[in-house]
Amino acid sequence: MNAVMMRLTCPFCGARELNEFQFHKTAPEPGANPFASVYERVNRTEISQEYWQHVQGCRAWLYVSRNPSTGEVYQVSLLGTQP
Amino acid sequence: MSGRSPRYSAWSLLRGRFSGPGFWRPLWSGRQLQKAYDVVVVGAGGHGLATAYHLARDHGIQRIAVLEKRLVGYGNVGRNTTIVRSNYLLPENHYFYEDALRRWETLSRDLNYNVMYSPRGVLDLALSDGEMVSLARRGNAMRLAGIDAELMDRAGVMKFARELVPAGTRRFDIVGGLLQQRGGTVRHDAVAWGYARAASALGVDIIEDCEVTGLVTTGGVVTGVETSQGSVAAGRVVFAVAGHTGAIGTMLGVPLPVETHLLQAMVTEPIKPLINSVLIYVHPHGEVYILQSDRGGVVMGGFLDGFPSYTREGRWSRLEDVVQSAVALLPQIAGLRILRHWAGTNDMTMDGSFIIDRIRYDNVFLNGGWCYGGFKSIPASGAACAQFVATGTAPDLIRAHTLSRFASGHLLDERGGGPFPVRL
Repeated sequence: MNAVMMRLTCPFCGARELNEFQFHKTAPEPGANPFASVYERVNRTEISQEYWQHVQGCRAWLYVSRNPSTGEVYQVSLLGTQP
Repeated sequence: MSGRSPRYSAWSLLRGRFSGPGFWRPLWSGRQLQKAYDVVVVGAGGHGLATAYHLARDHGIQRIAVLEKRLVGYGNVGRNTTIVRSNYLLPENHYFYEDALRRWETLSRDLNYNVMYSPRGVLDLALSDGEMVSLARRGNAMRLAGIDAELMDRAGVMKFARELVPAGTRRFDIVGGLLQQRGGTVRHDAVAWGYARAASALGVDIIEDCEVTGLVTTGGVVTGVETSQGSVAAGRVVFAVAGHTGAIGTMLGVPLPVETHLLQAMVTEPIKPLINSVLIYVHPHGEVYILQSDRGGVVMGGFLDGFPSYTREGRWSRLEDVVQSAVALLPQIAGLRILRHWAGTNDMTMDGSFIIDRIRYDNVFLNGGWCYGGFKSIPASGAACAQFVATGTAPDLIRAHTLSRFASGHLLDERGGGPFPVRL
């Protein structure tokens, strides 16, 4: 059974409703050229690494790792401190 | 293989009424997967089936297979809100969608299957003078291309759409609108079934429960596809996989300018005729497009969910947005119950326009990136894509819709919003 993604856990604010967050784009592959990082996206069905922002909270930029086929969120970290 | 579906006519249907259940045959034959094909089409949705149909009908290609991971019509062709229109601003788009709209007008006859094209009119509503200017610009661009468009003031809108209750009750009131009278709706499932039936009658093999997992290459040339039912030799391969376009790019090692987003839709319990056209209402806090199905249910949809997802389960807050917008537009539907609610996976490109082009190999074609326009484009896409695949040359209608346009800067940015599918 798939789980609808309803919350994200902000490193500063804790678990908050998804509505407070805004997706920006998928993180480009390391070493991607400027064209690729602007126009191309990394489309993986099992794991997606993305930039989000907690726009209606602390406004921190976040790095979210999750499964777009199930809605499961693996990890949310502050952008720049991701593993 | 128990006989093919008979040709339908008023006479044959009347005869079928009295000749017992034997008259009705399966719409497409349950054929077995063969070892080799001239063309393998991946995805038995609207675009895949229409492409196969035109390859067989217009270009005389004999051995065609349409391979489908799930069921015919399981994807977006059965998940859209059935709207057809050609009210686009850019010439590359409005000529193409107009070609589709002309084909919708005669499709029932061409397929010998009633797809219930209903030119009830598509009305874009404007809530400010600025939006009226924008609609006038779009309408003028359409009229210069010979496409019908009618700019309406407030009185005209209220006269055309009687279901809109008078002023003073709406938070964001209506200033005017742009009507395309020939736009309207088409019964979406009938499109999938009609194309499947017509393609099957022309000898196309439609194979369900057959997932394509990779390409077979020999010396750098694609010679077939790997599937869950074994490998199949193919002269040419066409991918028409809608929401999984991005994943196909990943499979082929070609990163695509595509993001997969969910788009939700819902339908209420049936009511007596209320909404006579398709109303599109975009306001500062949301959007709704709303129509009434032939059965009486109110069908509505809105914005994308806003992040990549293949779950086909929409986020609840978007459902709420759409319903609030619908009730803001038509307060009289507030008490209705929603019967069904679903989501489709949209392959959103970075300029909002589709892609039909070769991908990585000379004999592999991609038909995707349809954004919001997947359903309404099906007949034109099938004809153009089939011509491209059969002749090796893209017809003029899709010449601009290349994969390389993003690198060369020749974007078809209808919205003018930059390289993001969702407005930030």
